[in-house]
Amino acid sequence: MYQLNEQQIDYILNDIGARGVEMESLQQNLLDHICCIIENNLEENGDFESFYKKTIQTFYKDALWEIEEETLQLLTNKNYYKMKKIMIYSGTLSVAGFIAGSIFKIMHWPGASAILLLSMLNISLIFLPLLFILKTREVSAMKDKLMIAIGTIFGILFSTSSLFKIFHWPGANLMWLFALGILMFVFIPIYFFSGIRTPETKVNTIITSIILISAGGMLFTLTSLKPSTKFYIGKTYNYLQGEELITRMQLIKNDTTNQNPEMINISKEILENCKKIKEIIIIDGIGIKSIPKDFETKDIILQESGLGKEFDPAASGMEMIQKLKKQINSYNTLVNRNKQLPIDNNIERMEKMELIRISNYNLLNSLTEIQLFILQNEKGLMLN
Amino acid sequence: MIYSSELIKGTLKTIVLKLLADNKKMYGYEITQRVKELTFDKIQITEGALYPSLHSLEADGLVTTETEFIGKRVRKYYSLSATGKTKTKEKVSELADFMETMKFLLDIKTNTA
Repeated sequence: MYQLNEQQIDYILNDIGARGVEMESLQQNLLDHICCIIENNLEENGDFESFYKKTIQTFYKDALWEIEEETLQLLTNKNYYKMKKIMIYSGTLSVAGFIAGSIFKIMHWPGASAILLLSMLNISLIFLPLLFILKTREVSAMKDKLMIAIGTIFGILFSTSSLFKIFHWPGANLMWLFALGILMFVFIPIYFFSGIRTPETKVNTIITSIILISAGGMLFTLTSLKPSTKFYIGKTYNYLQGEELITRMQLIKNDTTNQNPEMINISKEILENCKKIKEIIIIDGIGIKSIPKDFETKDIILQESGLGKEFDPAASGMEMIQKLKKQINSYNTLVNRNKQLPIDNNIERMEKMELIRISNYNLLNSLTEIQLFILQNEKGLMLN
Repeated sequence: MIYSSELIKGTLKTIVLKLLADNKKMYGYEITQRVKELTFDKIQITEGALYPSLHSLEADGLVTTETEFIGKRVRKYYSLSATGKTKTKEKVSELADFMETMKFLLDIKTNTA
């Protein structure tokens, strides 16, 4: 019986690692196994190194790492069918979700965003990664694996950027352009030049490439056709300017002459109501309550659009508008003629449900003006 | 005669599970030696087949492992889990059934009387 010393054990362990076995538990198993063989079969004064080399060769056909490969193969293959099933389910589910979510969104039904969010997350976090794992296993050439990887990255970027866009999260545009860039300048060229070389796939490759390029090109055009965000940046600065003016005016001392408590009260209510309606509009546009001063660096741009579903008939925003109208009317009965609030055209139109003619910026400006009129009276900035 | 590795491949997991059912806990080298002994050297399990199977059984939750330090090296003992025990019975009876079918299919006469 041979007795192995510590250096010899280290030597074996290093050799197993050097032969490409990286899984620690497998390394330990093999180490113990070889040690057992050596200890049981080598005579006490035998030649360790040559015996070890002869023994290790009986473990494999071409190389020792075959054992690790076989292990990994068994460990992953086990999940192959499960993964395939999950992939098909999640794919079907997200397609159904996209269709349902889009219909919900167009119809302004509740739950549209939740459905779209779930489908998008499903496709980018479950479907595409699984597709990548399963597809790469089917091909052997490194080039094909690379192509699938790039395709998957494009798909994930594309769906996440769409998600960011729908929810007006920052960074959507950059991600969108990046995804299209990968498609147009990396994926399609690799796909085209690898497919065109073999005669059987030549025609298909050309047709698919043309379709991909035109689809990508159309998406690209859609991106650049959007009105420049600079336009909205200017509008946002205008809006913030108004907000600043309101804040500064609120710092001025109230005019104590000539004010009855009822009017002070209703002024407060109108200011409060205007503020809340503004919050609803801004949340609908960018997902947060107010526009930060450094919105430009944060890439949080409130785009001009129609009013959201909160301003549908009988929805909360619309009710607040109606309340505002009543408040203005009662305010006007309490003050002198020259202090009365002028009837705001946009509020009037909203009452008549002519929503389509009013954009979010229109209503925000109207509200700011109402607030400024009120403050002007409250602070006594108007001559009696 | 030593059986070909293709023949052993499909039955290796069953062999390992049955051995563990009979012996409580075993380590890799011990398993290969026991099989060799019991089959009079007819079945020789290779390291390249045994360890991938053991890892796969572990991942399936059929066997559990405990480690023991022997000087500088670690020995991993394998034993059956609760699900492993029921699975072993299933696998053994499946293989027995399979052998009966093979006998019939290949027209092997066991009693040459």
